[in-house]
Amino acid sequence: MANLLWLQGGACSGNTMSFLNAEEPSACDLVTDFGINVLWHPSLGMELGDNLQQMLRDCISGKIKLDIFVFEGSVVQAPDGTGEWNRFAGRAMKDWVQELSDVSDFVVALGDCATWGGIPATAPNPSESVGLQFLKRDHGGFLGKGFKSKAGLPVINIPGCPAHPDWVTQILVGVATGHAGDVALDEFQRPKTFFQSFTQTGCTRNMHFAYKVSATEFGQRKGCLFYDLGCRGPMTHSPCNRILWNRQSSKTRAGMPCMGCTEPEFPFFDLAPGTVFKTQTVMGVPKDLPEGVDKKGYIKLTGAAKTAAPQWAEEDMFVV
Amino acid sequence: MMEDGLKTQTEPFPEDHVQFEAVLKELRELPEDDLEGKLVVSGFVDHPYGEDDQRCLECMYYLVHRKWCDLPELAVPVEPEWWCRLWRI
Ligand code: SF4
Ligand code: SF4
Ligand code: SF4
Repeated sequence: MANLLWLQGGACSGNTMSFLNAEEPSACDLVTDFGINVLWHPSLGMELGDNLQQMLRDCISGKIKLDIFVFEGSVVQAPDGTGEWNRFAGRAMKDWVQELSDVSDFVVALGDCATWGGIPATAPNPSESVGLQFLKRDHGGFLGKGFKSKAGLPVINIPGCPAHPDWVTQILVGVATGHAGDVALDEFQRPKTFFQSFTQTGCTRNMHFAYKVSATEFGQRKGCLFYDLGCRGPMTHSPCNRILWNRQSSKTRAGMPCMGCTEPEFPFFDLAPGTVFKTQTVMGVPKDLPEGVDKKGYIKLTGAAKTAAPQWAEEDMFVV
Repeated sequence: MMEDGLKTQTEPFPEDHVQFEAVLKELRELPEDDLEGKLVVSGFVDHPYGEDDQRCLECMYYLVHRKWCDLPELAVPVEPEWWCRLWRI
């Protein structure tokens, strides 16, 4: 039996919604098949008021063993580092976060706000929000760079806005069943099994990417969303086209550009009108090129791809 | 027209997508059949251009098999070695 506690800081509950949609395994499977005991969760927890406070204190004192602490949302530090803007169970949430992280075997940051600070940490960041261990790309998060949970791992970051439900439950099962050692993390502490490939891996528009056929409007069936609509699929680490959403589809399959929500920079650009869902260019070349490709290589590749492009690449192959 | 030495507006090259949109806007304001106007505003030349030897062949709007510029605001026949300042890859 692994005890799991889930709290929410500066959050919209999106990751909770996502979690409750999990299918492989489902949230119920975690309890019935994988021995996870949900001590408390904002939408599922039974305890209220004094009982909840007592339970949290029992976790901190060690009376209740805390195996997995899941945190959703940013750590709010306003005003002036006190955290009083986000009070929970009688005190600043950030104080619970610190003490519970210190006693937990594993700490999981869930969603962009908990991992990198996300939308709440976007400048001017009045809530003084940070992620658990990162602030954007840097180790500037609440628990500090050197933090390790009792099992010796840093915070396990599962980003996304929200994170895909199955990323969450599969990692929780891995950790709860003693396979944490198999969970290799990348430089941003994301599980590699999900975040080593790109959103583009498995995208149905890959051939349109190769032959430079562009979609110019959302929902168009033909064309790649990279050239005009700012798709970040080639530089975003996520399995969105391998592990489909609702087992059905993904943004790019539906004709919607990837916004790179699993990367620390999300949300991108200056968000000025006309800059979102638009490919930013510098002298005709996309400002952000697929990872590992430089401008010269890109131009060469384009010439070769164009020359080799088959006739059908110029046609709408989805005739119905 | 190009062989006859039509002077077109090759500069300034739109540096970012905002300037690119501005040229597109100018093109949209032309009557649809004003071929000369389109050639001038988009800065056509019948040879590669710039330090990277940019050509229609590499441009994302160029359709190889039809030798056609697929940019809706232009939609004109072009050769692979041509160039215009809406070049984009
Ligand atoms: S750029 Fe986007 S739409 Fe195009 S192939 Fe990659 S993921 Fe798919
Ligand atoms: S497709 Fe991109 S923006 Fe959408 S969920 Fe996946 S990583 Fe995030
Ligand atoms: S936009 Fe200009 S450079 Fe590109 S194919 Fe059309 S005419 Fe050629």
